Amino acid sequence: MRLTILDGAPPGTGTAWSRYLNDFTAVCRREHAADLFHLATMDLRYCRGCWNCWWTTPGECVINDEADTVLRSVINADLVVFASPLIAGFTSSLLKKVTDRLIVLVHPYIELRNGESHHMKRYERYPDFGVLLQKEACTDDDDVRIVSDIYDRLAVNFHSRVRFVRFREETTVGELRHAACGI
Amino acid sequence: MRLVVYNGSPRMQGSNSRILIQHFLDGYARFTGDSAAVAMIGKQGEREKHLELFRQSDHVIIVFPLYTDCMPGIVKAFFEELFELDHSERKHIGFIVQSGFPEAVQSVYVARYLEKLCTRLNAEYSGTVIRGGVEGLQMMPSWMTKRLLRKFEQLGEHYARTGAFSALLRAELARPFTLSPLRKLIVRLMAATGAANFYWNSRLKQHGAFGKRFARPFSRGPENGPTAADTSESSDT
Ligand SMILES: Cc1cc2nc3c(=O)[nH]c(=O)nc-3n(C[C@H](O)[C@H](O)[C@H](O)COP(=O)(O)O)c2cc1C
Repeated sequence: MRLTILDGAPPGTGTAWSRYLNDFTAVCRREHAADLFHLATMDLRYCRGCWNCWWTTPGECVINDEADTVLRSVINADLVVFASPLIAGFTSSLLKKVTDRLIVLVHPYIELRNGESHHMKRYERYPDFGVLLQKEACTDDDDVRIVSDIYDRLAVNFHSRVRFVRFREETTVGELRHAACGI
Repeated sequence: MRLVVYNGSPRMQGSNSRILIQHFLDGYARFTGDSAAVAMIGKQGEREKHLELFRQSDHVIIVFPLYTDCMPGIVKAFFEELFELDHSERKHIGFIVQSGFPEAVQSVYVARYLEKLCTRLNAEYSGTVIRGGVEGLQMMPSWMTKRLLRKFEQLGEHYARTGAFSALLRAELARPFTLSPLRKLIVRLMAATGAANFYWNSRLKQHGAFGKRFARPFSRGPENGPTAADTSESSDT
């Protein structure tokens, strides 16, 4: 299977986080292909909402940065792991920046799904989602539900499903690998 | 009242958010002589100015388009900056979230986050006004948008009078909350006849891209093999 891991940790998050993600990637790579993107080290811009990706160059963003590498990996993966420490109760702006750019992967046409408006597929298949978080001092159960529900919504829009939401400090690398790769 | 309104749309001047804010403030000015400050979150190099406006205000309204079921990345970055500030002075913070899809239910998930954010910022939560179906606002003839824009004026006027969003207007603006059976039928009919795609098709044609509308530029062709991207140096196995 193929994994894409989006590391949305801002600089200064600490070595425990990066060591964990590196170890996780390494164990996955024993049997699977895994792309790990440290978003903080990449040239990535914010979506401008120009819709050129839907009506000028369908499926492609006009911003000339490193997002294409991420997008190509995401759409060809079986599982995408959105990984970020919680900051002010949600995943980082760095990760959200890339999440906004995923819009190029769906089609502008709208269809009804579960009785709601959603975008049609652009690609034949879409990866499952996994979410890896790290708690803040103020994180409570309510925050966890809020974040999980928002990722569930995102998954609906992206023809996907959230396979797991885990916390780094409560999950061993082996357990996360099990959740991600099912072995 | 010292009010600041932030526009969280990455489209800034060209945004639907700007139009809604303008009508809100027209209504606001009708009732009070107090002026309100407006700031574009996306404007480069104005971070300090934005934070200073926040510090100086006792009422804050943050307006943004729903982006991938949540706030746009630039708005999340702004929240992270607000979170770092000193919160000893209690403020009133409210939100206006508008979206492309017509049903308000799409935005209730982020609204739960916004309410919790206010607790984090030690602020009084003024509520979230939700409005769906805003994407085509600037293409619609004025007879179609008049009622909506009038409601935003009334919302502003009520805010100037009470320092709060009108519950009645909030409920009206959030319609439809979900699609009624009739509306679903209309959507299905429009999809079947192609009428639903008119907006996108006309823009695709205008840009000579209609023939490429189903393009899949990132499909992994047989020649591409597995990607081996890794921006980390330490994790190669
Ligand atoms: C990257 C991106 C993601 C979006 N995601 C959603 C979404 O998840 N749900 C929705 O209803 N509309 C979505 N929209 C549509 C916008 O919310 C809508 O077009 C809005 O009116 C734009 O307002 P603005 O002109 O103030 O930016 C998205 C638009 C963009 C550009």
